[in-house]
Amino acid sequence: MRDPDLDRILSKEEEILPSSGFAASVMEAVQREAAAPPPIPFPWKRALPGLCVAGLTLVSLIISSIVLITHGVPGQSIPRSWLAASASFVAASRNLGAAWILVALLLSFASVQLAMHFASNRMPRYQRI
Amino acid sequence: MSASEDEAAVQQVLDGNAGAFEGVVRRWQGPLINLAYRFCRDRGRAEEMAQEAFLRAYRSLDRWRREAAFSTWLFALATNLYCSELRRIPARTVALDDVAEPRDPRAIDGGLEQEDQDRIVRRAVHALPPKYREAVTLFYFHDMDIAAASHSLSLPEGTVKARLSRGRAILRSKLSQHLVAPLLRKEA
Repeated sequence: MRDPDLDRILSKEEEILPSSGFAASVMEAVQREAAAPPPIPFPWKRALPGLCVAGLTLVSLIISSIVLITHGVPGQSIPRSWLAASASFVAASRNLGAAWILVALLLSFASVQLAMHFASNRMPRYQRI
Repeated sequence: MSASEDEAAVQQVLDGNAGAFEGVVRRWQGPLINLAYRFCRDRGRAEEMAQEAFLRAYRSLDRWRREAAFSTWLFALATNLYCSELRRIPARTVALDDVAEPRDPRAIDGGLEQEDQDRIVRRAVHALPPKYREAVTLFYFHDMDIAAASHSLSLPEGTVKARLSRGRAILRSKLSQHLVAPLLRKEA
């Protein structure tokens, strides 16, 4: 079979007509959509303090981890006050189960990022036109 | 309704008159249903997919930036939806190897009845891998216009040409077995 044969066959596709109630059915759905209340936006203002606290905790944990790691290196001098502060912070974190909280936060962040990545891959193209 | 009337209708919808969308639906219902039908070969499902495409268009009207014609935007949106839908729930396809042999392998054109030949070719297109099937379907839907097909698929023209070429090569190879083998068997 040659390309002109394919062109001939595939160009003369049968046309189907919309059923009589199609436009009415679409408009019914559109009117329902128009009458529906707008979606509730994410409450950023309320969530912001919690997010800030979570961010600060994360930064503190990273800093204290770095301090602890460098403490293990010979010849490294670390101020005693830093060590005492980081040790008490680590002890408090252990009591609160901060490691699990951190893992949960990281997992939540990763899953949200993944979901957003998939969602942006689903409908990206026509929105750019 | 012309392109400018499409634009006016869209503006009215954006200004809060949802009823103005009916003009858009009436103008584009035929093309959108036919495009869906070419993807799924099921009239009922084609109407469902077209309805969903109109609803998505209605929800996204404010994202049409007017850099392209409304029809270009609408076809790209519908194509994106149809491809996603068919990847999620594939249409019922018959593998080309399972396609029944034609009723009369010698009737016309030294071989098959025209109707049988057309049916086999369409099933062969339907059995192509999705990326080739989409390129082939859009190319013929847009009257063999590569630029229009590439706009609908939101892909560069070169990519669409390459997929079309590969799709046709697969079709030629498959169809040469299926359209010639019955004849050879008959003659043997």
